[in-house]
Amino acid sequence: MTDASATAAPDAMIRLENLTKAYPGQAEPAIGGLSLEIPRGEIVVFVGPSGCGKTTLMKLINRLIEPTSGRIVIDGQDVTEMNPDELRRGIGYAIQQTGLFPHRTVAQNIATVPRLLGWSAEKVSARVDELLTMVGLAPDTYRDRYPRQLSGGQQQRVGVARALAADPEVMLMDEPFGAIDPITREALQNEFLRIQRDIRKTIVFVTHDIDEAVKLGDRIAVFGPGGRIAQYDTPEAVLSDPADDYVAEFIGSGAYVKRLTLTPLSRVAAATDWPTVPSSADREERVAALRSADRDFVLVLDGDRRPVGWLGRDLAPDDDRLTGNGLPLLSSLGPDDTLFDALNAMLASNADVVVVTGEDGRYRGTLGMAAIQELIHTASPAAGAGPERAAGPAPGRSDSPGTDSPGKEVR
Amino acid sequence: MNFFDHLAGNYAEVLALTGEHVVLVLQGLVLASLIGIPLAVLTYRAELPRSVVLAVAGVFLTIPSYALFGLLIAPLGLGTAPAVTALTMYALLPVVRNTVVGLRGVDPAVIESARGMGLSRRQILRQIELPLAWPVIITGLRVATQLLLGIAAISAAVNGPGLGNLIFQGLSSAGTPFAVYLALEGILGIVVLAVLADLAFAALNRVSTSRGLRVD
Amino acid sequence: MAIAPAPTEPAGGTGAAGPGPRPGGARRLLRYAGAPAALLAVLAALYLYVGAHDLDRIERRSLNAEYLLSRTWQHLGLSLVVVVLILAIAVPLGVALTRPGARRFSGPVLALANVGQAIPTIGLIVLFAVAFVSWGIHTIAITAIVLYGILPVLRNTMVGLDQVSPAVIESARGMGLGRAQVLWRVELPLAVPVMLAGIRTALVLTVGTVALATFIGAGGLGDVISNGISSNRTVVLVTGSVLVAVLALAVDWLAGIVEDVLRPRGI
Repeated sequence: MTDASATAAPDAMIRLENLTKAYPGQAEPAIGGLSLEIPRGEIVVFVGPSGCGKTTLMKLINRLIEPTSGRIVIDGQDVTEMNPDELRRGIGYAIQQTGLFPHRTVAQNIATVPRLLGWSAEKVSARVDELLTMVGLAPDTYRDRYPRQLSGGQQQRVGVARALAADPEVMLMDEPFGAIDPITREALQNEFLRIQRDIRKTIVFVTHDIDEAVKLGDRIAVFGPGGRIAQYDTPEAVLSDPADDYVAEFIGSGAYVKRLTLTPLSRVAAATDWPTVPSSADREERVAALRSADRDFVLVLDGDRRPVGWLGRDLAPDDDRLTGNGLPLLSSLGPDDTLFDALNAMLASNADVVVVTGEDGRYRGTLGMAAIQELIHTASPAAGAGPERAAGPAPGRSDSPGTDSPGKEVR
Repeated sequence: MNFFDHLAGNYAEVLALTGEHVVLVLQGLVLASLIGIPLAVLTYRAELPRSVVLAVAGVFLTIPSYALFGLLIAPLGLGTAPAVTALTMYALLPVVRNTVVGLRGVDPAVIESARGMGLSRRQILRQIELPLAWPVIITGLRVATQLLLGIAAISAAVNGPGLGNLIFQGLSSAGTPFAVYLALEGILGIVVLAVLADLAFAALNRVSTSRGLRVD
Repeated sequence: MAIAPAPTEPAGGTGAAGPGPRPGGARRLLRYAGAPAALLAVLAALYLYVGAHDLDRIERRSLNAEYLLSRTWQHLGLSLVVVVLILAIAVPLGVALTRPGARRFSGPVLALANVGQAIPTIGLIVLFAVAFVSWGIHTIAITAIVLYGILPVLRNTMVGLDQVSPAVIESARGMGLGRAQVLWRVELPLAVPVMLAGIRTALVLTVGTVALATFIGAGGLGDVISNGISSNRTVVLVTGSVLVAVLALAVDWLAGIVEDVLRPRGI
C-alpha cells in the first residue's frame, strides 16, 4: 500500500516514477526512489510533519525543484525534460503566503499566466471576472484593488483564482489555508470543495494538518521521515486502518472522532419515524398528535415542511404553549454538515436527537445518538477497504454512489 | 552693497554655474546607475561577488574627496573628467547597496509563486523584482544625489565646473566685501539644489511606483 | 528592511546607517587582518613609486620625511580635536533632545541639521574663513569641521535612544531606577551600537574634511595634495592623495574594530 504504482490506476493524471532528490553533502536523499500515481480529477493530500519531504515532492512535480533522477509524467506526457517555465504555465500553483504580486492589482495578478500564454485582452478580462465570482469576490469591487487592501482570507481567494486562471488540469497547493484563522479557514475549505465539485481538477494539496487532509482529500498520502510515504489511501481507510504505528501515531488519538467529520449528512439516511405535526394544526389536532406519539416531543413543521419547533408531550391540553411553534428548535443541520456537527449539536443542546433538513431547508428526518454510533462502526475498516480499493481511483466524495465507500452504505 | 544686490549683479554667472553643477551631478548619477544597477543585478544573489562589490564601493566612499580627486588628476588631468569620475565612484555605494537591498528584500514567496506560474528568470527580474525594489532604488539615487551635490563643490579645486567655483572665488577674494557673498551664493545654490532634488525624487517616487506598494 | 534612507551619510564613511551584523569567523579575520595588510601594501607600493623617481627640488620640498610627518601629525591633531569636540557636543545634545521635556525640539533640530548637511564642507570652511577673518585659521577650520561632523553623531544618538523600547524603560522605572539611572544603565547601553555607527561615520568624515583645511592654510595632509596640484608634480599629488586615503581607510578600519569591541554583548 505504500507504493501505489504497484497497482497502476487506469487514469493517472500525474505519474511519478522512481523519483529521487538528493542534495549534495547530505547522506540521505530528501526523496528516495519514490513512485506515485495521482488519479485524474481527485484531490490528493500530502500530509506529514514538517521536514518530511511532502513539499519537496510537490515542488518536484512542477520542477521548482529539479529531480536528481526519475521521471515525471503528466497526462501521459513525460515532462521531466521539457522547458520548466512552459511546464509551470500549465500547472496551477498556490502557496500559503499567497505570493500575490503587491505592485499589481487583483485583476493583473489573476491575469498573469493568461497573459504569458498570450490570451487576448477581452478573454483575459472575462476570465478574471469569472474567477473572482467563482471564489466569492465581487469583480466590480475587487478587480482593481491591490493585495494589501485585502484581508488574509481574501488574499487566499485571489491566490486560488490566480492558480486557476489559465484553467490548468493540474493544481499544486502548498498549505493554501495554513495562515488563516480557523473560522475563515473552514469557510475557505468548504468553498474549495464546492468549487472542486464543478471544476474537477487534479489537485495535489500539501498540509501538515491531518484534519484538513481528512476533510479535503479524496486520497491521502501520509509522509514519514526521510521522504517515505507511509500510507497512500482514502481518508476513511487511513483513519480506520493505519498502515503502521507511525501512521497511527500521526493520526493521533480520536481517529473515530475524525471519521465523524468525513461523512456529510447528505450521505446519511435520516430516520423518518419521528412524530410531526403541521403548524397549521389546531389545538385538538395537536393534543391528538401528542397522545399518539411514542416520543417525549413532537416536531412542528411549517407550511413548507420546514422544522420550526418542539411540543412537549407533558403539556396539558389547555396549556397556552400548545399553540404557536412550541419550544424553539435549537439547531437543524443541512446536507453539508457532517456527523461531527450532528454529534456536536446533540451535546450542545443536551438532546439525543437532531433534525436533518435537505438542501431546501425542508424536513428530511432525524438522527439519533445510537444511529451515529452504528454508522461509525459499520463504516469500519473491514467494510471493503481492501488493496484493490487502495489502487483504484476513489470516486469523488460528492460523486455518484460508490460501492466501496463505507460512508455511503447508509445512503 | 548687500548680499542681494551682489546676487542681482552676479546672477547670470550663478545660474550658469548652477547649470554646470546640475549637469556634473547628473553625469555622475547616470554613470553610477548604469554601472551600479547592473552590477547589483548580477551579484545580488551570489554572496561572494556581492560582498566584493559592496566592499569596493565602500572603499570608494571612504576615500576623502580631495584625495580621490587628486588621485584621478594623475591619469585624467584637471577639469571635468576627474570630477565626473570621482562623483561616479562616490555614488556607486548608495546605488549598488540600495539596489541589492531592494532586490533581496522582495518576499521569497512572491518569487516562488512567480516561478511556480512559469515566469522565466528574466521575466521575474523585469516584471516582479525590479518594480518591487524600485522604491528602495530611488531612495539610493536620492541619497547619492545629496552626496554628490555637496562633493561636486570640491571639483572646482581641480578646475572642474560647478558652484564650487563661487566658493573658491570667495576664498581668493578673502578680505574684500564680496568674499562672503560669493561663498554664500555657492553654498546657497547647492542647498537650493539639494532641496529641489529631494522634491524631484519624491515626485519621481510617486509617479513611478505602483500604487499597490503605497497603500496600506 | 535596511533601506538606508540617508541616515549617517554623506561624504565619507562606509555610509552604514546602523550597526551591521557582526562579521563571523573567516570574514571577520579577513576584515581585521586583510584591511591593514592591503593598506600596508599600498604604502609600500607608494614608497617604491616615489623611490623610483629622481625627485627635483620642488618635489623634495614636499616629499621628505620631516615634512610628511609634520603634516600627518597636524592632520591627526586637528582630527582628534574635532572629534573630541563633536562627541562633547553631539552626545549630550542628543541625550538632552530625547528627554521627555525637550522632545518637541528634536524634530526641528534634526530638520535644521539635515538642511545643514546639504551645505558642502568646503563651503562651510571657506565661509567661516572669509566671514570671521579675525579668528585664527585653526579655530576656523575646527569650528567648521565640528559643525559639519556633529550631525551623524547627534542623529544616531537620538535614533539610538529613541529605539529603546518603552517597555524596557518602564520596567526599569518599575524596578525603582531613577531617571538618571535608567539613562546610564539601560538607555545608553542599548543605544551604543547605533551611536557607535554614527561616531565611526563622523570619524572618517572628519579625517577627510581636515584634508580641506589646506585651502585656508590650516595645514594637514591636504597641503601635500595642494602642493602637487599647484606645482603640477604628479608624484607629489599622488603621494598626498594616497596618504590621505590610507589614513581615512585606516581610521575606518580601527573604528570598525572599536565598534565591534564596544558593542554590548547580547545586542
